[in-house]
Amino acid sequence: MESRATTSRTDGRSPSSPLWRLVPLVQRHKWRFWGGMSLINTGRLLEAVMPLYLKMGIDRIAAGDTRLALPALAILGLMVLRYIAFNIGRRLVREVGVNAAYELRQRLYWHLELQGPLFFSKFTTGDLMARAINDITLIRQLIGMGTRLLFVLGFSGIVAFLFMFYQSPSLTLALLPALPVFAIIGWLIARRIFDQSTLVQEGFSALSAQVQENLNGIRTIQTHAQEDRETERFEATSDHYAGNYYKLMFLNSGLTSAMLVATGFTTLMVVGYGGMQVLEGTLTLGTFTAFIFYLNMMLAPIREGGIMITLFQRGGSAAARIFEILDHEPEIRDAPDATPLEGIGGALTINHLSYTHPAQKGEGWPALKDVSLEIGKGEMIALLGRVGSGKSTLLRLIVRLLDPPPGTIYLDGRDIRMLPVTQVRSQIAMVPQDPFLFATHIAQNISYDNPERATDDVWRAAESADLETTIRRFPDRLETIVGERGVTLSGGQKQRASLARGLIRETPVLLLDDCFSSVDTETEEFILSRLKSLRHGHTTIMVSHRVSTARHADRIVVLDEGRIAETGSHAELLARDGLYAALERQQGRREELERALEKDVGDDT
Amino acid sequence: MSETAAGKRRNYAAFDDEIETRGFDFGLVVRLLKWMRPYRRQGFMAIAFVLLAASAAVLAPVVVSRVVVDGILLPTSDAGAPDFGQKALNSFLATSFDLHPLFSACLLFGLWTVLWAFFGHGFRTMLARTVLHALRDLRRDLFAHLEKLPSSFYDRVAVGRVMTRLTNDIETLFELLAGFGVLLGEFVPFFAAVSVMMALNPTLTLELLVLLPVAAVATWIFRVVSRQVYRNIRSSMSRLNENLQENLSGIEVVQLYGRERINFERYNAINEENRQQENLAVRIESYYGPSMDSMAFLAIAAIVWFGGQHVLSGVATLGSVILFAQFADMMFRPIVAMGEQWNVVFRAMASCERIFQALDWDEALEVPKETRSLPDDVEGRVTFNHLTFGYTPGTTILKDVSFEIRPGERVAIVGPTGSGKTSLVRLLCRFYDVPRNSILIDGVDIMDVEPAEIRKRVGVVLQDFHIFSGTVYDNITLGNPAVTREAAREAARLVHADPFIRMLPQGYDTVLTERGRNLSHGQRQLLAFARVLAMNPDILILDEATASIDTETELIIQDALSKVTEGRTSIIIAHRLQTIREADRIVVLADGEVREFGSHQELMARGGLYKTLYELQVQDTAGR
Ligand SMILES: Nc1ncnc2c1ncn2[C@@H]1O[C@H](COP(=O)(O)OP(=O)(O)OP(=O)(O)O)[C@@H](O)[C@H]1O
Ligand SMILES: Nc1ncnc2c1ncn2[C@@H]1O[C@H](COP(=O)(O)OP(=O)(O)OP(=O)(O)O)[C@@H](O)[C@H]1O
Ligand SMILES: [Mg+2]
Ligand SMILES: [Mg+2]
Repeated sequence: MESRATTSRTDGRSPSSPLWRLVPLVQRHKWRFWGGMSLINTGRLLEAVMPLYLKMGIDRIAAGDTRLALPALAILGLMVLRYIAFNIGRRLVREVGVNAAYELRQRLYWHLELQGPLFFSKFTTGDLMARAINDITLIRQLIGMGTRLLFVLGFSGIVAFLFMFYQSPSLTLALLPALPVFAIIGWLIARRIFDQSTLVQEGFSALSAQVQENLNGIRTIQTHAQEDRETERFEATSDHYAGNYYKLMFLNSGLTSAMLVATGFTTLMVVGYGGMQVLEGTLTLGTFTAFIFYLNMMLAPIREGGIMITLFQRGGSAAARIFEILDHEPEIRDAPDATPLEGIGGALTINHLSYTHPAQKGEGWPALKDVSLEIGKGEMIALLGRVGSGKSTLLRLIVRLLDPPPGTIYLDGRDIRMLPVTQVRSQIAMVPQDPFLFATHIAQNISYDNPERATDDVWRAAESADLETTIRRFPDRLETIVGERGVTLSGGQKQRASLARGLIRETPVLLLDDCFSSVDTETEEFILSRLKSLRHGHTTIMVSHRVSTARHADRIVVLDEGRIAETGSHAELLARDGLYAALERQQGRREELERALEKDVGDDT
Repeated sequence: MSETAAGKRRNYAAFDDEIETRGFDFGLVVRLLKWMRPYRRQGFMAIAFVLLAASAAVLAPVVVSRVVVDGILLPTSDAGAPDFGQKALNSFLATSFDLHPLFSACLLFGLWTVLWAFFGHGFRTMLARTVLHALRDLRRDLFAHLEKLPSSFYDRVAVGRVMTRLTNDIETLFELLAGFGVLLGEFVPFFAAVSVMMALNPTLTLELLVLLPVAAVATWIFRVVSRQVYRNIRSSMSRLNENLQENLSGIEVVQLYGRERINFERYNAINEENRQQENLAVRIESYYGPSMDSMAFLAIAAIVWFGGQHVLSGVATLGSVILFAQFADMMFRPIVAMGEQWNVVFRAMASCERIFQALDWDEALEVPKETRSLPDDVEGRVTFNHLTFGYTPGTTILKDVSFEIRPGERVAIVGPTGSGKTSLVRLLCRFYDVPRNSILIDGVDIMDVEPAEIRKRVGVVLQDFHIFSGTVYDNITLGNPAVTREAAREAARLVHADPFIRMLPQGYDTVLTERGRNLSHGQRQLLAFARVLAMNPDILILDEATASIDTETELIIQDALSKVTEGRTSIIIAHRLQTIREADRIVVLADGEVREFGSHQELMARGGLYKTLYELQVQDTAGR
């Protein structure tokens, strides 16, 4: 987690670049945005006129003039116009922010849908969630509010300056030296706010990743009675986060105070210098008051400049974090000249396939080495091999969950890299080794690829996976909710639900990754016998550790350390007396097992 | 079972539902204060600072209007209105440093401004410190509480929902508490301004105060109109998050089954709904927000009109009218701020309720006040005594299960899938409550023992184990300092994981990704196995611990294991019979009932379910 934090920090180093990338989001609504901005600034202009009437009022009061209705009513009229301008203007600008958030969310989601395993090894679910929630909110605030403050600051500064200049040029020029001071203070603190808010947002990501992992593994933590230690670990993360947040707040507050002092000293100059002029009689008291008013008007946004700078820096760092994801090109994409095949038969050719998992750091080692295999249409292949020998890797390459090197895997004679990914995945169904279920009804899980499927199909698939009787025993039948990841099902039930989800698709090629490991032999036999008739004429590859499963296949392929060690039918391999034969001896032989199971029994009875 | 924990039907849906507050609930805020208590010193300092800052903020304009305008520029119009001693202070400054009164007034103004900035900074940082620390503690307490909630809770409640309470809900509270601080910062100048104005010119002040109810009514209308919209926004937000979270957890299935489009469209439908509601809220807010800051204009118009009359009739000074104009803004700031905070307050109230609901969730395993502890050297006699159990009231998963495991015995549990094997193990590890005296370890009812103690003695390789992101080594020790590096390696060696771990780029320090996805499934299972051995339990339970392991490796493990578990009670659950070859006796479980119990020979002789299973697995392999 720590290392990740530092890498993404250097990525978003320059504070300005991520902000520029938000411009297109705003430009798409340019009419709304600029219209809104002009209205808001018109409102500001109306505000700027107000002190003129206040001045008129005060001068009249000072002169003992009783015609006060004009200034009072003029101020009221200005108020109404200003209200209208602000009402519409703010709405337009904030709508741009809302739309930008909407579009970013949309883009982010779609982008995440396309990502592959390397991406998900870099970003954890908790981290991605934190970005999708908090960082997008920060960007929305930046566009809906930060930009408004920026333009208002610039505009009212200029307007107030012009008004002041008109009122008293000498007094105004005396203020000029103060401006660079504001700029320098703001710039210095802003840079630190950017870095600090990146730390805060990363801290939040770390926090949410930790919570997410912890709750997902709560049963494991509890079995090992590690709750207290996990709490300590969490406290450390949370403390770190609070510490960074405090520093950010400290910087924010410091900026606010610095701006306050700077603006205060500007006022002070006006009071001193202007006061002298009033005493000398070169300035009327009304002008003096109006001047102070404009000054406040010019300075108020500068005082709020603290908020604006914070919004910009936090939004900028949020944008960097969002673009860090959006810039991650999907690992697996359609080739530019990919064209779909018509009528997939299901013959697979694997041609000198070597594959090394892309590793985040350090060099990987090949998971598959020079694998060549010819699988005819309608064949049923069993894939055996030790733990980590590359079985899952091979299957994942065939469905393009991983990207094979060009020219290594062919479907019906066509390199699968030249097929659209969607076609590959719709024609080749894979049931993954880890049976993941969604927290909805069983029916929705089984018909996951197409929610429109008829209930009959769902029942039929359930039956093929020998899940039908189990489901019938649940009070809610197909509407039984299975809990997150299927927690309320037994291991075998989960596995069979996942199998049913694959079987319902009736694709030309079916890949089963160790789908019977949590199922008893009787059930497995039943499923396999159905599977054989169901898959007649269709290609099927099933990974297993059991000889009893492999026996059903037309051909058996044994992988060893990423290489094909042997292939052949059950009988051929037994005759070869290689790895498979050894396995068969260890597993199934009656006399072996009997000897093992019967030993030591004498002592106990 | 039905008479214990499950007897109390819990409404888990309530945990998942969108919680809506009835409104501002003072009780919740008071309860939050409990977490602020340890930091009350900083809290009080913050309050002191805000008072000082506000005073300075009030004094600075007084210097300009009373001292400069009334005292120096237009000395004639002084009508003896209060100036908080600023004039005296100024003339003192002017005479003692021999300055022009205008310059000493400027100095005074500068002084108040600096103090205003200084105390303001003190206030904001103290407030942030108090609130951040309090929330950090609240977060820890909530986390600690959630860590202890039993499985029955996590069976029913979505992790995402629990998670947002620890993350976003607490963030919202930060906004709330910091917002209170902002309000406080606005109210103090408000009262100061009003009291100064009252002192200067009570009639004019009262005339202005009439505007306050107008603002209050506008705020009330705004709240009524926007309430439902904000509610819809919150609900659509949490549905967005839930959707995203589930999509990310199951991304592989999503891609394999080509669900990207459909999921995206569903997500975007919620996104669209959220956008519409947000835009509606923006619309309502833009009617309200500018109307609040228009109040200051209204006030200035009133000041010119009424104040002018007062000055002309000699009741007020010109300086006081200028002062009023300067204060007009201060008068309405708290209302503007409150209007801005409404939204936060209501969001925070809902967050508060969600947090407290989680903290108050008193679902817990039943632990008697006087717990017994297991003997120091557990013999390992495990007795199941007419155990009946169901996860939810009204269902039974295990029916009248009775059998006894002798000390040091290796017992296998076999049976069709869904027959209740895993459930039996979960009960033995005390993940759920069981009826009294239905499970005993060394004659001690496990209901009398602290669950953590049982789990330290009983090591179980779960069927659905979890691999954490972090190094291989961390995954074996699980951060437990009692497990040394050497012990971790030794455990890895026992389960034959050492060879593959050493092949990893950084060996035992290789960083695994979320859920260990950069290992093969079998490798992950070996790690989960090793971590149980590393804790060296008295009773070892393997629930399909080698289901994804090839036979060759499994045999190596069994050999190694049979040495270390010699004389240690162990329970092995497996579908493959060669996994249970070391077992002394076998329990056959079907439909939650013990069908057969005995040695292999006895069960074969009975010719029951076990024999059927056995025959299926050995069926003439050699012959074909
Ligand atoms: N947390 C739970 N809440 C409700 N029902 C559950 C829960 N866990 C399991 N069940 C149900 O209890 C029954 C027994 O499940 P259990 O996991 O004990 O079976 P098992 O014998 O271990 O099966 P397998 O061999 O498939 O792992 C199943 O019907 C299952 O649906
Ligand atoms: N995402 C990944 N990143 C890096 N290495 C990986 C990744 N996935 C698998 N590996 C490595 O590749 C090798 C082959 O893994 P694979 O999952 O294909 O094995 P397998 O034959 O399916 O094993 P099992 O029987 O345990 O499922 C293993 O050594 C594993 O550690
Ligand atoms: Mg695998
Ligand atoms: Mg089980």
